[in-house]
Order: sequence, then structure tokens, then C-alpha cells
Amino acid sequence: MFSQPTTLEEALDVRARCGPDLLPIAGGTDIVVAMNRGQLRPAGFLDLTHVRGLDAVRHENGRYECGGAATHATLSRLPVEALAEAALSVGGPAIRNRGTIGGNLVTASPAGDGCVALLALDADVELAHASRGRRVVPLREYFLGYRKTALLADELITRVRFPKDWITAWYKIGKRGSVNISVVCCAIGRSPTGLFHIALGSVAATPIRAPHAEEIVNRDGLTDGAIAEAADAVRRDISPIDDHRASAKYRAAMSVTLVARLLRRIRDRVKEPAR
Amino acid sequence: MTQNIQTIDVPIAEPFAEPLVPPSQTPYVERPHGPVGRSEDRIDGPEKVLGTALYGADLFYGRADCFVSVVRSEPAHAEIVAVDPSAALKMPGVLGVYTHRDVRGTNRQGLIVRDHPVLAESRVLFRGDAIAVVVATSERTAEDARRAVRVDYRPLPVVADMDAALAPDAPRLHPDGNIMGGKRIRKGDADAALAAADVIVSESFCTQTVDHAFLDLEAGIAHYDGRTLTIHVSGQWVHEERRLIALALGLPLESVRIICPATGGAFGGREDISIQIYLGIAAIQHPGKTVALRYSREESMRARHKRHAMRIYYTVGATRDGLLTAAKITVFSDEGAYRSTGPAVCRKAASHATGPYRIPNVSVDVYGVFTNNNPTGAMRGFGACQMAIAYEGMMDRLAARLGIDRLEVRRRNLIRSGDAVTTGQRIPIATAVECLDAAVRRLRQCPPPRPTDPHKSRTRPPALPPHLRRGVGYSVICFGLGYGDGFPDASRARVGVSDQGRIQVFTGGVEYGQGLITMAAQVAAEELGVSVRETDVVWADTEQTFESGSSSATRQTYFTGNAIRLAASELKEQLLDIASKLLGVHPHELELRDGCVVGRFDPARSVPLAEVVAQGRARGYSLEATALFKPRTVCEDFDTGQSPRAFITYLFGSHIAEVLVDIETGEVRVDRYIACHDVGRAINPQSVAGQMAGGATQGIGMALMEEVVNRDGRIANPNFTDYILPTFRDIPPVECVILENDDPGGPFGARGIGEPPLIAATPAVLSAIADAIGVHTHTTPCTPQRVWELLHPDEAAVPPDARFSLAPPHARLER
Repeated sequence: MFSQPTTLEEALDVRARCGPDLLPIAGGTDIVVAMNRGQLRPAGFLDLTHVRGLDAVRHENGRYECGGAATHATLSRLPVEALAEAALSVGGPAIRNRGTIGGNLVTASPAGDGCVALLALDADVELAHASRGRRVVPLREYFLGYRKTALLADELITRVRFPKDWITAWYKIGKRGSVNISVVCCAIGRSPTGLFHIALGSVAATPIRAPHAEEIVNRDGLTDGAIAEAADAVRRDISPIDDHRASAKYRAAMSVTLVARLLRRIRDRVKEPAR
Repeated sequence: MTQNIQTIDVPIAEPFAEPLVPPSQTPYVERPHGPVGRSEDRIDGPEKVLGTALYGADLFYGRADCFVSVVRSEPAHAEIVAVDPSAALKMPGVLGVYTHRDVRGTNRQGLIVRDHPVLAESRVLFRGDAIAVVVATSERTAEDARRAVRVDYRPLPVVADMDAALAPDAPRLHPDGNIMGGKRIRKGDADAALAAADVIVSESFCTQTVDHAFLDLEAGIAHYDGRTLTIHVSGQWVHEERRLIALALGLPLESVRIICPATGGAFGGREDISIQIYLGIAAIQHPGKTVALRYSREESMRARHKRHAMRIYYTVGATRDGLLTAAKITVFSDEGAYRSTGPAVCRKAASHATGPYRIPNVSVDVYGVFTNNNPTGAMRGFGACQMAIAYEGMMDRLAARLGIDRLEVRRRNLIRSGDAVTTGQRIPIATAVECLDAAVRRLRQCPPPRPTDPHKSRTRPPALPPHLRRGVGYSVICFGLGYGDGFPDASRARVGVSDQGRIQVFTGGVEYGQGLITMAAQVAAEELGVSVRETDVVWADTEQTFESGSSSATRQTYFTGNAIRLAASELKEQLLDIASKLLGVHPHELELRDGCVVGRFDPARSVPLAEVVAQGRARGYSLEATALFKPRTVCEDFDTGQSPRAFITYLFGSHIAEVLVDIETGEVRVDRYIACHDVGRAINPQSVAGQMAGGATQGIGMALMEEVVNRDGRIANPNFTDYILPTFRDIPPVECVILENDDPGGPFGARGIGEPPLIAATPAVLSAIADAIGVHTHTTPCTPQRVWELLHPDEAAVPPDARFSLAPPHARLER
């Protein structure tokens, strides 16, 4: 079975009627790999690539609103540093031209670069159902567990909203220059009100925020002491594992290093007098 | 010594600069004046670029009647209790399931010792051992049926690594125990010399398991007409494959024909039999049908042999001036489940254990150790690249210990022309120092502009941020070309001419991207005075070509190049003889030029080649010639490892890497890369530069990221998501410096280039990392985590002492 709607209404309708029987597919950069490995044999597809406007990025009221089918390539051209760099670090050009932010959020890999950058922007994700309508979930509440999310089997991700003018920073440690899965990645966003949003990937079952670390810099600002303390506090926010990509010890140490490095980078940009 | 130096920068995705070739006066070899020495376009280039070349996977589509799938062992070590295909056989579309009982021949494979059952009989020794072959009407059905074949195992304890294999109570994987055998070298008295040395430096090195990772996955078709089994599968030595297939399947040799399709990379990974015999089993069971099989990347990585992981214990003694006096070396090499080419890899590791250095007292012991990992065998570098990591690592350590410059320590110990390597073989033209000097000269020149960031090219950033450190690393290596060690090594070639006057070259060698057939055409065309465009090459078809030995061991240019040159020269004699009668000119006063036979002193007397051929045919000339090139080497002595001529000739090279290391995260970026090799003569400089850039890329991958992670006999990363290969962003433009000091025995003075660039690359990068962070490396690959652990040894995932668990006593001798 194969459905290729051209409007969002139609897509939501098919999704509501067929639910899990039709696997929504956009870029296919996760799904096709899983199928090739025999991990996934879907009965049919709901192809989202022809839905008008679903890949667009709009700008209103100081916020960006991008459709679920916006590609990494599209995001990599936005003037939001952490998100653009994260998107640019995904795969190679072919994968970035196909892969979408919605797919990144549905797969919800702990190493999902786009998810980490959006967490640091305190993004909202809009989940829609044909009859129940749309609900907006803050991204920090969206990830429920290892590859488990708040998205229901009859809903689609329609939009992701995030602010435009935050100061952000991004760093990813991987094993090579491109087509590179993160061993640890970190994004930090600073809102105009001076609140910090620290997000990390590949250090827990989901992409995570680091509330202990955030609390310290939100309280004490970006002094050398606060940065060191916040970076160290991130150890309480993460729960890394040993696997063939890296050891838990390395991941923990890198979380500390990256949080400190990115906070310093943001401090350099803000030129905020150290309190 | 006169030198001809060419420098070619290989900027990725940019055209070559025209190299400047200064004239060279060589005492040995006549100057080529035709295609040899020119960067002729690849003969196979257009069809590969246009996509019309047919690779194994292209044959797979549209030509097959039925499809094969292989049932593989899930446990890494188990007895097979029963194989029950009944559920699979009931599935619609399934034509048959075959086990070892259906194989009529020896059911054995293995290039040196036939110790590996094609289909397992009573026991499986690694997770990937084949058990049965399924044939069905579609690929999907064959896959489903493969899963439905029920295999009952009695699990046996898994020997996951060499420590487990050498434990006193370890299960025996082969009848003679878990030590496959090995190789030793005894030269002088290493113990006495160590006792007398001013300084002793000791280290243990761990190298990783590496996959060949060629892009063109194993795929092909086979057909059996009741008489002849024809197999279209890429290999590296089609005539030897034919022998192995015929033996395993119980067919007469003449009944097997192998035709090699276009092949995308091999690197030693196609030396062992891959899918050929499975296809043969299926084809024989279904005569008249074309059967097809292809691997996924995961199956390819699970089924294929790998590069040996080695643990190398290295102790050197030296004088205060840094002159090496002794080396004592023990190597344990993870052989995996079966021998493959392991015995030869161990021998090559031993004979290359001290590289290009002059050491009067040497003791080397290399042991191959069986485990339940994938068999390990041939891969570009063949045991020599692991040893280069060790001996170059030792040179850096010795320099640091003595406070002598790293280059100076090397220069003091490098062999010079006329010196002997550790096997006792004297090297008449040893250009190790010349390679190092040429690479260093290049380093002192400005780096070329980088295609990626043209603005930042010529000037260095004034200061690095505090977390970045810059380092430079050097390596010098030598490599014995060919099988060597007394092993029969020969190449036959046939050269003929068509009625239209086109030159036809027949070679059994395999073109897998390295440039073999273009080299073959250039050599024949040079000898016969025609252009490459007038030359056709027929290759790697057991029916049409003679055996040329394997396309491995950096040997095809030397061996097949020589065989083609000899055959072409015989053909030329015939052509001149015929023309002499037509023109009334003595043959010695004729030459072949531009497709005509021309009077040397009277160019007005000329006859086109096609006319010569027509007249020759009428007069009963064969108009073809076959030649054999079979130089002898001498087997290394069993007790001492000494041989007056273990290898036919030696190659030298030197690489320099510049890296930036992030000392907070351990990330390494290779910033600049210089490769210099003495190739004797570059028959095709652009091809040589391509091999240098490719080898350097593979070597950088081995230094920084590539690693097959074996966990309890299971490969944890059998895919390109987690088996990390370098990308364009990881490799800077490779600056290639080609030295040409003619080899007296090579075709037009050529030696070869295949393996050395990889061997030299890994130690250069490791040396640069050590220079940057001030800590020597010992374990490859140097992933960010490993570099970080070198700087934070307390945080290491594997405690540093684990490397010494197999330590022989001399590893603790340091003083």
C-alpha cells in the first residue's frame, strides 16, 4: 500500500485512518537503512514528500516555524548557529538533502543532532491529528525514553517552532569529518533574557537537557567559577553507556569539556561582564 | 646516484598539475620514448565513469534464473548437531538447500593450507562460517528460506581473543593447538648486545583488526552446462581460484572457467575465495540455470577475512649516539578461525620487523594464534604495515630518550645502498635516506593551496587556541616486493596482433582499479612502437589468458610488466623479420614507430603494420608471443630467517604528516600530508600518484578510525555506519613526491607502488600525534577517546597494563 497525499489534510486523514499500517516516510534515511538490515518490513508507506508546504520554513514574531518535512539542508542555511551547524553535521550532502527534521524527531535517536540543537533552543513541536486537532508539546517533554516519543501512532509532526535571535553554540565529537555519528554532541542556547538551555546527545537514552548545569549558570552567570561548576554538574544530568562507539567515562568527560567550552564561547559572544 | 624526481600534488577532486620531469641519466635501463612514463588515460576509465562497465552486482541483475543465499553460523564456536532444511524446502519458490553432503569434491578452501570447509561439516569456528546454501527463484525467497533453515548447535566456549586462546585450559580450535605456527629470525646475538647496550627502550603495541571495505561488494553469477562451470566473480588470482574451486567441487580443472568482471577495489580482500564455490555448488545442482549471489555489506563483513590484529613487543638497544645495536621482537598475531594467508603474513611480518634499519643483532619471533574471530589473511601491507607502526614508534622513542632529533636518529640507522636488511639480503639500491630527504625538502616548501579553503592556504594561523596542538610525524619504510621467501612467483603474458594491426595483450592479472591494464598496454605499446589507443588488453579470463599470479604483493607491474615486455619484444622480432623481407632492409635497421615499420636510416622505406600482419599470416608466422617471467628467490632459513635473496627487490618510501590535536577532546585532524616513494620508474605517474594518495588514505584510516570491533566472537560494527572509513574531509591533499631510481630488473626500470603508501602512512600519523601531545601512542586506531586516554591514563577504559598480559619477559627490560 502506498499513499502519496499532496495536502496536509489528506495526509492527516490517511494517518488517522490507517495508523501504524502505513509508515510515514519522508527522506527515508533511517527507514531505508532499517529495511535493508531486515529490521523493518512495513506493510505500506505514507509518503510525505509531496505534501505542499510541509518542507517550508517560515519566519514570524521572532520565531522560526519549520514544517516537519524541512530537510537538514534547508535548516543548515538558517542563521541559527547551533541548528545550522548541527544540520550541517548530519551525514553527507545526499543525506542532508533527503533527511528531514521530522524524521530526526520521530527516530528520536539519542545521537540525533537536530534534536539536540532544537532542545537547546527550547523548541516546541506540533503534533496533529485529523479530528482531534493540533497539540503543541515542548520538545523537552517530547522524548519519553529510548526511541520513544510523545507522538501517537495516528499523528504526524507538522511543525517545529524555535526562536530566531538566541545566541547559540554547537559542538560534536565524532570519529571523522563527515557522515559522522556523534560520540558526544552538545548545544547551548542563551535566550535574550539571559537564560541558558544546555542540551546533549549520545549521553543518555534520549537527547537530554542538563537542568543541574543550567541552574548554576542561570543563577551565577558566566564567571569562570560558574562555568567550571556547571560543567561539572552536567555529570548529574547524563547517564552515558559503554558501547562500541565510546566508553561511558569518555562520554562523561567530554560532556563536561563541551559544556565548558560552549559556555565560554557564548560568553565571548555576549561580551557580558562577568558577575 | 642520479635521481629523477617528480612531484604531483593530489588535490582531491581537482585536476593534476602537469608534473615537471627533469631528464634522468640512468646507468641501467634504456630511456622509454613512447607511452611509458606518461600519464596516459586509464583504458577502463571512460566505461567506469559513464557507468557502462559491468561489475559483479550489474551481472546479478537481469541475467539470473535463480538466486543463492548462504546459511551462516550464529554462534562463534559450536558443534553442529543437525541441519534441518524441511521448513525451507516447503516454501514456494525454494529449489533446494545444500549442505556439505552435496559437495562432491574436497569441500575445502584455503590459499596456503586447505583447512577451511566450504560448508561446515561438524563444527563452526566463527560467526559467519557457512553451513548450507539455499537456491530459490527470487532473492527475497532465498533470504526467507535461509532464515527458515534450522541448525541445532551444541555451543562450545568462545575463544574471543589471543589471551583466551593461549590460556592453559583454552579449548583447542585446531588439532595442533591454538598456535598456528610462526616465524623466527636470529641474527647475531640480540641478548648479549642488549646486555651491552648503553640504552634500552621497550614498548608494546596493539594494532586493530581492519576490514578491506572495498566498495564493490561480492556479487556474481555462475552457469553449469553439464561440462563447464563458468563463474563471473571478481577475484585477485583467477587461475588459483580455478584450482581451488575445481578441488572443492570435484571438477576437472579444465571444466572450470573464471571470468573476472569489472572490479571495484580488492586490497587483499578478494584473495581468499568468496562466493565462487557457493555459486558453483548451486550451479552444479541446477545445470542449465544461471545462478546469482550477492552480499550485503553486513554479510560481506561477516564472511570475509580481515587484517591481522597484532600485539607487538619491541625492545631495542642502542649506543649513546643512537646507533641501534640490537632488537628483540615478539609478535602475537590474531589468526582468527582459519589459516587463510596467515602463515605468509607472519613470515612477512618477521622479515619486515626492523624495516629499513641496520641492526646487527636481531631476534624476532612471530606467532599466529587461532581464535573464534573472522579468519585473518591478506590485506594491503600484509604484516609489514603492523611492523612499521612498531619500528617507527621505536625510532621516535629512542630519539626522545636520547634527546636526539627524530630525523637524525633515523638517518644514522637507515640502510644505504649495499647494506643488508634483517634477513641478510643486501640491497643494491637502497633509497630510504633519499626518500626521507626528498619528503623533508617538500615539507619545507609552502603547502599547496587547498581546494576547500583557498584563502587560508599559504599562511599559517599565527597562534593556536590553547586546546589545539600541532605536531609533525615522519616515517620511513621498506617493502620486499612479490611473494618472496622462495615461494614460486611467476607471470606469463601473451602478446599478439590483430589483422587490423591492433596489439592485443593477454594477462591473467586482475584490474581492480589500480591501473594494471593501462600499465600492460603502456609496456606493450612502448616496446612495439604504437600508442596505447592501438592496444587492447584481455585480462583475468582463465580460458583466454595465462596465469599471471595474483594481483597482490605489489607484484604485477614488476612481474607482468616484465612478462609483457618480453613477449612484446619477441613479437617485435617477428614483425621486423617480415617487414625486412618486404622492404629489403636488414631487421636491425628497422624500427616500429607510429603503427608502421620504418627504416631507421631511411624513413622513406616504410610499411604499415596491417600490411606486415597480412604478409606474416600468409607466410605462416604465428604473430604472437608468450613469455614467462619467473625470477627466483631463496627461502629464509628455518632457524635463522636468513636468506641471500628473500625478495626479488625492495621498495622504499617516506611520509610526513602534520596534525592538529585537540587535547581536551582527543580529536585529530591531518592538516598536511606528504608521501614520497622510489618506484624505480613511474610507468604512469598519475596512476602512481593515485596509488600513493589511496594508500595514504587507507593508512590514515588505520591510524585514526578504522577498526573491526570483535566482542565475544561477534563483530559489533558490521556496517559503514560504525566501521568508520575516512571521508574527503579527513584527508588533506596528498602531496606526492615520486623518486625514480631505475631497478635493474624491472620493466623499463619500474618497481611498483601498491602496498608501501599504506605501510608508511599509519606510523607517520601516529608520530605526528605523539609530537603534538608529548605522549607516544601504542594502540591503533587513535580515536578521539584513545588520544584522550593517552593524556588521562587513569580514565582509560582498558587499563594500560592490559597490553602487557601476553608480555614476554624482555618487554620489561627497559633501562
